[in-house]
Amino acid sequence: MKNKRFNLLLIAAVTLVAAWSLWPTWRDYSLSQQLNSIKSAPDSLKYVLSNRDEIENARKKSLKLGLDLKGGMHLVMEVDQVDLFEQKAWNKDSKFTAIMKSVRTKASQSDARVLDILSGEFKNENMRLSRYFYDIRNSDQEIVKKLEKESEDALNRAKEIIRNRIDQYGVAEPVITTQGSRKLIIELPGVSDENRVRNLLKGTAKLEFRLLRDPEILLRTLDRLNTYVVQNNAAPQSIAVPTVSPSVSSQLKAPVPAKPATARTLYDDIRVYQNGTAYTTEHSKDYVVSLLRRSDIQALLPQDTELLLSAKSDVINGEKHFALYLVKKTPELTGGVITEAKATFGSQGVQPEVLMAMNSEGTSKWARITGANIGKRIAIVLDGAVYSAPVVQSKIPSGNSVINGIESLEEAKDLEIVLKAGALPAPVRIIEERSVGPSLGADYIRAGVLSLGWAFCAVSVFMLAYYKKAGIAADIALVLNIVIVLSVLAGFNASLSLPGIAGIVLTIGMAVDANVLIYERIREELDGGKALKSAIEMGYDRAFSSILDSHVTTLSAAFLLYTYGIGPIQGFALTLMIGTAASLFTSIVVTKEIFSFLLGRNLMTQKSFG
Amino acid sequence: MRIFHKTSFDFIRFRKIAYGFSLVLLASGLLSLAVKGLNYGIDFRGGSEVLIRFEKNIDVSTVRSVLDAAGVSGSLKQYGLDRSFLFSTVFNGETNDLKSLVSHALNDRLKGNHHEIVRIDAVGPSIASDLKWSAVKALLASLLAILLYVGFRFELKFATAGVVAIFHDILTVLGLFSILGGLFDFMPLEMDQSIIAAFLTIAGYSITDTVVVYDRIRERIRGQKPSDYERIFNESMNQTLSRTIITSGTVLLSVLVLFIFAGPAIRGFAFAVFIGILIGTYSSIFVAAPLVFDWLRLSKSPVHLRGSKVS
Repeated sequence: MKNKRFNLLLIAAVTLVAAWSLWPTWRDYSLSQQLNSIKSAPDSLKYVLSNRDEIENARKKSLKLGLDLKGGMHLVMEVDQVDLFEQKAWNKDSKFTAIMKSVRTKASQSDARVLDILSGEFKNENMRLSRYFYDIRNSDQEIVKKLEKESEDALNRAKEIIRNRIDQYGVAEPVITTQGSRKLIIELPGVSDENRVRNLLKGTAKLEFRLLRDPEILLRTLDRLNTYVVQNNAAPQSIAVPTVSPSVSSQLKAPVPAKPATARTLYDDIRVYQNGTAYTTEHSKDYVVSLLRRSDIQALLPQDTELLLSAKSDVINGEKHFALYLVKKTPELTGGVITEAKATFGSQGVQPEVLMAMNSEGTSKWARITGANIGKRIAIVLDGAVYSAPVVQSKIPSGNSVINGIESLEEAKDLEIVLKAGALPAPVRIIEERSVGPSLGADYIRAGVLSLGWAFCAVSVFMLAYYKKAGIAADIALVLNIVIVLSVLAGFNASLSLPGIAGIVLTIGMAVDANVLIYERIREELDGGKALKSAIEMGYDRAFSSILDSHVTTLSAAFLLYTYGIGPIQGFALTLMIGTAASLFTSIVVTKEIFSFLLGRNLMTQKSFG
Repeated sequence: MRIFHKTSFDFIRFRKIAYGFSLVLLASGLLSLAVKGLNYGIDFRGGSEVLIRFEKNIDVSTVRSVLDAAGVSGSLKQYGLDRSFLFSTVFNGETNDLKSLVSHALNDRLKGNHHEIVRIDAVGPSIASDLKWSAVKALLASLLAILLYVGFRFELKFATAGVVAIFHDILTVLGLFSILGGLFDFMPLEMDQSIIAAFLTIAGYSITDTVVVYDRIRERIRGQKPSDYERIFNESMNQTLSRTIITSGTVLLSVLVLFIFAGPAIRGFAFAVFIGILIGTYSSIFVAAPLVFDWLRLSKSPVHLRGSKVS
């Protein structure tokens, strides 16, 4: 008797907790329904203001919909550890560059740890890591440990910086987590401008102020490059074809005009103007970029210089042109000193620009740099592209600087965000992306609700038809089961996705299995001539072992799927797990209580089991 | 209502035919796997997919020729939603470029039929190999877990036969995916993460029916002579036949609903689970139990069953 009361209490408690956990979801839904029914804008604003707390509260605690249902982006980004290690190395020589190059190729092909690949490569070459990293007295293990720490820090810093950027941009409830040693998982629900978000996340935001070399040196350098290119072009034709990795943009390019291999000079792609500036067209940009990346070309440049392209194009004769700048490789100042950034319009009020302020250290350095270089040009370089290269008019003591050469206010705003958030320790790449637009999300919701409804109808009607009165108990248990799954999701702030709904639908079919096993056993016992009450007792007892076995196997499969699965599949595994576990309770405890209640009131007969 | 009430099929006698049927099923699946292979989805092969939906009806070949003319390389397929097409191409980190190329091409050349890019999936090669590995790990781990659990609850012979039956079910579905892959527009039957989820679901569920049959055999076989095993096996299977079929039936019902209503994203999964459960039900009667029977018959040693007290 005591046991029975305990069961009843347990059922009541579970039901109450489930209802309590789902209550905000219901409120959220009904509040937004009311809001939608209000036609005029002022009225709805008034409604929102007067019910603000309740609306916010309900929304915060209500069942979250997954990215696929709500629309949004799921991104996996990878911190470029090879680049990070390259930054950490010193006295780099050509040997080092060669090793790092092979490390990079190997790392892109396997998912082994970059550090293992790196130390493996060094071992192959029979070299000690300390030749390039940290102190010469360090052993390889110590260096590996230090680098490991370094990459861990880099990942965490990257996470913080990306979180800052997203917060500044303004996304409701972003989720950013790290995975392994080099991956960041970013979930952004309800993002409308995906392109902007991608650009915002991708950029390293490495800001540098670099001195420009004189135009004569640029022209002389280009001449030297030209001679080299012409000499080499005669032989391998492959140089003429852009050797960019198979990117969509290059495949889609209007057919590359067939140029006679012999006649091709550098000046086909780079035009030099009277005032000592050099430009490349949009058309040739890919080729020029690939050219500039080549180490044999880089070797021809004057000591400590680099050729960079401008970020923005100038339109000359209807074609986009990108300026070429020869800048010093060592920056005079880097973005670390920037404390404040603000997007505004420039003096004429049309050109968007970003104003920047520096900390005291940066201010004094900036004053010294500008003072020493009056009349020269200093390029403002962000992530390897020159935004502007103004001539220094006078010493700037205030620590202010400005980035112009920005196409739109939106871009200026994004620059403001990335400059404020700081530079990433190493470049990051998007290696996986799944984004769903809101209209498809609405379709998914409709499909999910339809499947849930139909599956419930089909299964519950079948149970009623096949088991008559006993089917009612199974159906009540089924409803409670679904409620429990949803309430657990809401209570633990997990979100419901389309695969999650599929998991619930599958649960509907599996949850009644326990009832089927029990009822079949009861039928058997009844056929064997047992009295109704003892048949029911026997049915529950005897069927329990098979039910437990089958639940444990399903649960363990779902658990492993949850552990090893990634992203959407986890949602499926989660609902299947909760549903299966809950059905142990609903299909056994709940239905048994219903039967004992009915038995107590003589509402059950032998025929009740169909 | 009662179906399969008091049946007396001689399952054990027909087991050789069943073995033959299963072998043919498996062999044709494996042959197709070897010759034709599988259609990998972007989860496992890496790549980018763009789902485009148009406002008005349009022919797949029209869209294809427009994209071709614009020089966008990749393949275009009808997708299982109205007026929707799936465009797939190689992965490169620049989804922005891909998106703008596709929409520019379509906007320029298909004026008057507005389109929307409703979904973009891009999976880099390193992620793809990650996903592949974790899928393999999850599958093997679940098979091991089931083997251990059933071995612990019953006996090694029962557990092994049960796991063999699971292998049988999953391989059959895999073979079917290979045979039917790419034949239907409304379900491409590509191997992706959701199919792995389907396999794990099948593995977890296939053993359910098997356990029900085993449970009954265990209940009845105790203290019986080996010469009676054939009768006991047959009777046990007949006694549990209706529940085996009904438990699978309810699950099949809900999976069928998923297949019909849940849309193309779930369709491949629903198909796999449906076939898997169908095969799983068959295999628990015609493969798992008969294998135990043959094993017991050949080893000639009496069974030592665990979980002796069926309470």
